[in-house]
Amino acid sequence: MTVTPTNPLTAAQSGLWYAQRLDPDNPIFNTGQYLDIKGPLDVAAFTRAADQASAEAEALALRFAETADGPVQWIDKEFAPRLQLVDLAAERDGEVRALAAIRAAMATPTNPLRDPLARQTLYRLSATRHIWAQQVHHLAIDGYAMVLLTSRVAELYRLGRDGNAGGGRPLAPLGDLWAADASYLASADHAADGRWWREKMSGTDDIVGMAAGRAHSAHGFHRFEASVPEDTRTALLRLAKVAGCGWPDVLTALVGAYAARFTGTGDIVIGVPHMGRMGGHMGRAAARVVAMVMNVLPVAIAPDEQADISAFVAQVASHIGAARQHGDYRSEQLRRDLGLIGGNRRLYGPLVNVQPYDRPPVFVGLDVALHVTGTGPVEDISFTFRGDCLNSLSIEVDANPDLYTQAAVTAHGERLAAFLAAASHAKRLSEVPTATPAEAEAEIIGFNRTAHAVPETTLAALIEQQMARTPDAPALRFGDTTLSYAALDRRSAALAATLRARGAGPGQLVAVALPRSLDLVVALVAIMRSGAAYLPLDPAYPAARIDTILGQAQPVAVLASADPHGLYGACLLAPPQWPAEGAAPAPAVAAMPPPAAPDDPAYVIFTSGSTGAPKGVVICHQAIVNRLLWMADQYGIIARDRILQKTPATFDVSVWEFFLPLITGALLVVAPPDAHRDPAAIAALIRTQGITTLHFVPSMLAAFLEAPQAAGLRLSRVFVSGEALGADLRDRFHQLLHAELHNLYGPTEAAVDVSYWPAGPDDRSQPVPIGFPVWNTGLYILDAQLRPVPPGVVGNLYLGGVQLARGYLGRPDLTAERFIASPFAEGERLYLTGDLASRRADGAVVFLGRADHQVKLRGLRIELGEIEAVIAGSGLVRQQVVLAVHERLVAYVVPDTGYDEAGLRRALAAQLPDYMVPAAIVGLPALPVTANGKLDRKALPAPHFASHGGATPATASEQRLARLFAEVLNRDGAVSASDDFFALGGDSLAAVRLMLRINAEWGHDPGLAALFEHPDVAGLAACIDAGTDEPRDLGLAPVIPLTRKPQAAGEDGLAPLFLIHPAGGIAWGYRTLARLLQPRPVYGVQAPALDLAAPAPESIAALAADYARRIVATAGNRPVHLGGWSVGGLIAQAVAVELQAHGHAVGLVALLDSYPADCWRAEPEPTEAQALRALLAIAGEDPESHPELESRAQVVGYLRAGQSALGNLPPAVLDGVVRVVFANNKLVRGHLHQRFDGPLTHIRAGLDHKGRPRLVASAWAPYAASLDCLEVPFLHPQLTGAAASARIAPLLAARMAAFENRLARKAA
Amino acid sequence: MMTLQQLRTDIAAMIETTPEHIGDSDNLMDLGLDSLRAMNLAMQWGEAGIPLDFTDIAEAPTLADLWARLTDRQAE
Repeated sequence: MTVTPTNPLTAAQSGLWYAQRLDPDNPIFNTGQYLDIKGPLDVAAFTRAADQASAEAEALALRFAETADGPVQWIDKEFAPRLQLVDLAAERDGEVRALAAIRAAMATPTNPLRDPLARQTLYRLSATRHIWAQQVHHLAIDGYAMVLLTSRVAELYRLGRDGNAGGGRPLAPLGDLWAADASYLASADHAADGRWWREKMSGTDDIVGMAAGRAHSAHGFHRFEASVPEDTRTALLRLAKVAGCGWPDVLTALVGAYAARFTGTGDIVIGVPHMGRMGGHMGRAAARVVAMVMNVLPVAIAPDEQADISAFVAQVASHIGAARQHGDYRSEQLRRDLGLIGGNRRLYGPLVNVQPYDRPPVFVGLDVALHVTGTGPVEDISFTFRGDCLNSLSIEVDANPDLYTQAAVTAHGERLAAFLAAASHAKRLSEVPTATPAEAEAEIIGFNRTAHAVPETTLAALIEQQMARTPDAPALRFGDTTLSYAALDRRSAALAATLRARGAGPGQLVAVALPRSLDLVVALVAIMRSGAAYLPLDPAYPAARIDTILGQAQPVAVLASADPHGLYGACLLAPPQWPAEGAAPAPAVAAMPPPAAPDDPAYVIFTSGSTGAPKGVVICHQAIVNRLLWMADQYGIIARDRILQKTPATFDVSVWEFFLPLITGALLVVAPPDAHRDPAAIAALIRTQGITTLHFVPSMLAAFLEAPQAAGLRLSRVFVSGEALGADLRDRFHQLLHAELHNLYGPTEAAVDVSYWPAGPDDRSQPVPIGFPVWNTGLYILDAQLRPVPPGVVGNLYLGGVQLARGYLGRPDLTAERFIASPFAEGERLYLTGDLASRRADGAVVFLGRADHQVKLRGLRIELGEIEAVIAGSGLVRQQVVLAVHERLVAYVVPDTGYDEAGLRRALAAQLPDYMVPAAIVGLPALPVTANGKLDRKALPAPHFASHGGATPATASEQRLARLFAEVLNRDGAVSASDDFFALGGDSLAAVRLMLRINAEWGHDPGLAALFEHPDVAGLAACIDAGTDEPRDLGLAPVIPLTRKPQAAGEDGLAPLFLIHPAGGIAWGYRTLARLLQPRPVYGVQAPALDLAAPAPESIAALAADYARRIVATAGNRPVHLGGWSVGGLIAQAVAVELQAHGHAVGLVALLDSYPADCWRAEPEPTEAQALRALLAIAGEDPESHPELESRAQVVGYLRAGQSALGNLPPAVLDGVVRVVFANNKLVRGHLHQRFDGPLTHIRAGLDHKGRPRLVASAWAPYAASLDCLEVPFLHPQLTGAAASARIAPLLAARMAAFENRLARKAA
Repeated sequence: MMTLQQLRTDIAAMIETTPEHIGDSDNLMDLGLDSLRAMNLAMQWGEAGIPLDFTDIAEAPTLADLWARLTDRQAE
């Protein structure tokens, strides 16, 4: 087999090549190992063996170059690594020095365009101790090849010592592998494998790892190493026998099950390295060749924790077996197939790598230990096992330091070892805990040491004590009216007596349906003092809901100003009927019920219930007393504080707003009704009333901070709760306000709040935690088996302690569901919040969302099931599901006979508070379901919120496309069939994203050119439906139409305008200008060299000649107008010269801030970095804000990482852009302008070029018959933007029209 | 000394089948001998001093081919 002089990279190498070039300073692509050799090494024989093996392993001598056709490689025997001998025998610390040298070499990045890929060194420490280090770039080797190579050296050493030098079985040549790779790529098997994988992976949700963050290899990794003890190894082998599979598959399955516990969803996609050395197209050729062959197969693991563990293992093994059958198909290709490029999209999470073959080689007469120093990039976390399981098995956990701390890696290693020990002996995975015993104890006890003495008392007693302490102090204020504690005492005592007369007392309920007012506060205090619990009602609730609640609660009285629905009857006690201050209690004292005890209910708040009816949460005095005294103590609330009461009484946040001031002697300032929705009114209250303390739901806080009146406010503290506090909101808060910010968390079922987190200006947490438990409270994060989960793992949040509600009023069944016996403390209860959470290493709890269908919109708790129950109860639909979509409720229904949307809306409004009525109702013929029968949420169509006019998208394609328009443009509103993508705010780069999305949805896209031609939903949908078989067009053709449906040139008397690309070679940027010139046909001229297969241009003159030919081909013999921005103008002038030389009529030649080549020759040649900045500008980024991006790889990497459309282009196209940028820079300097015999129109960027006197329009004077100098007030980079285009378009239009008028007059 | 029947028995055990199921010229990969099983087999043989390694199985994945290689080497 002769090896061709150069060869393209194999599919296996390409991904690595790209990654290394993207990050050229990253040494992690160096793989390596060293052997610690003890015994009398025959150095001469060893040297011969090592050099011979290195000569056979051709890959070690690979060299690389980048060509127009992509990178190529060839074998250069000179680059084969010969063994270097380093004698350290004379050094006292020879071993230390050797290891340091090995580390240093491994940490030195390899430039594959320049450096040899491999090196090998023998360090002599003594006559009987040597260290043999090998280092090979991953482009040339994989783990198995390293074993092949080392074993070959061992064989040659043995044979050489026996006098048979050079015998044995040589390593195979690379050429066979290259041929096999090429043949596979061209084969039907490749296509079939691709189909198999795409089908296998379709419908997979976003793939995540075990830690949040971007899986992009850093320059190093953290490592944990341990060995698997014998009893675990034996059990693994036994399990393999039972499951009927190899022990490596057992390990893979169990590690997968372990990893799946860290994703929050219970399943995971792991990467399983595939040697690719056997079977398939490649295997036979690869069996004995040193090369990079290894592939990574994505394997989805969805453990059934209750299933028999051997059945689970067998199922994973069979899955892996099937995957191996298609294992030649590169994962990098699959990633591209599935559109998993850019951002955080990935194909698999952790790697599970079992390498039974990785054992120290046998060198005759020597004792050898193997140490692996690097195995290549670590994108996420890799679990590697080496050994044969029978005699030894080691675990290595290597992890990306950007995602895992060393402590986290160590914890994973130790936990995994414990998991394997338990799982290998278990019947079911559910028996196997995730946390180690120490972690479990910390979760149950360590993080919950909150015991604190609290007096056994009631809220009523605390308020009465305060009223006695400071009778003359102001207690509450509403508008201009202030009530002293003494007055509050008198009024509430009188009303309490009246309530008692009506039967109010411990265990009874009194409803309150009053707007915010002094009366409301008096009413609440009076109810407390009567011994009853209060039940807040929102007077705005629909009658049906109030009726339901009253039916369940049976209050003895209703304190309301009116009875609008006639539901209160004799229970109504309106303020005018209340007794005057100091009125004597009517009934005899003996008839008084005793005051409430600490374990009597204090209030009952109804919340949304998933079964269709609201449920009443019963909170007792001791619970709320604990909560209020904790808060007073924790935040040092004192008499000088002024606390704003603005939360409606039906939400439990109001409980502390009402009562915290009244037990601390502070002033309660009652906001006017509805003020809580008005940021300006709140800001005014804070200022005029000197508020020190108030509460916001985070979404309201966000709105508040947007109000200009909020800026600069000074308070003592602001509390937020009710929804997740975003880190950005925290930071904005501290930029705008001077106040402490505290994040509180708790469900109504646990007396308002159970945890707290100081979100101060120095808090950098992201996400912001809900923090630590309050007094006498436990927060427990548990798995489905009620076992504690380790830090960082998502679990269900359970609450314990004194603040738990007694239960749901009159619903022992619902109470039993959510309040369970604590497995950790006899006689105590836990409340299942339904919230998902994880524990940080410092013990702070992080809220991660809901485990069920409860949602919170603007802090309001909503059970979707309750809305669904109401819809079902209407009898109008057959099926229904309600979802929260972008902070709005959407009901999807399958209509029954007699359905009408208005009727359903009426039914909803009659029974639900308005915040629970869906914003949109979408009728469907059936609810889409996934293969396993679950609702397929992704397949639900986007709702159409209030329409903006235009026809509703009709066909399925139009509806899908309208959804994509909205998605790409981040639009909430409806998109109609006639809406224009660009009119909706789409720019050229958003257009690229749209094409990528269309391609993902339909499997093909009509190309950018089609979008420019048909920018409306209906038109483009028709193109998509029509063009299934047309080749994909990225809009990179040399000439593209920039206006909609351009007329055949000149048909209507308007000569076409051709706009020449700027430095990047792409002309999409002229789209805005072109639209403003409609109906004139406008074309973009783009660099043919964007296509890497096209030859690079030799000169601007050659380029101009080529463009002139293409322009004539499009325009025919009609006159043409030309224009161009920046370099584009310079080329336009050359094109004009060329056209003129051929006798073609040229009208306008517009140079948008372009300057002739002479100006640039005098300027220093731009650095590579500067040239690359042009790319950032093309991507819509401000190049000046990224001074750190200097190299090509950094710029390309930045673009890829970001969401810019340019970064999402296929690599070859992006490479094309880079190539054109560089070529243009060179060519411009070499260009000699000729004179254009006509006028040049120059439009100067008037705000730019300060201090660059050469850049003036008059520089063009030698190259034109006349100059038409214009100026617009913009910077150079802004000239193709919307604002500048609006100024420039009329200037150009007028000049083109004038030219055509002259022509017409001449013709006449 | 390794016999053809012993070779057949070892392979059968590794792929959970009976020796009779393995024909001399059957492709062992088609019978379920994937790379990790092959690796295990090769290691098992290596420990027993039988001169067949993983690359032999990969390059010659039939019983007849393996036996031919083995007899060549055992003759050396």
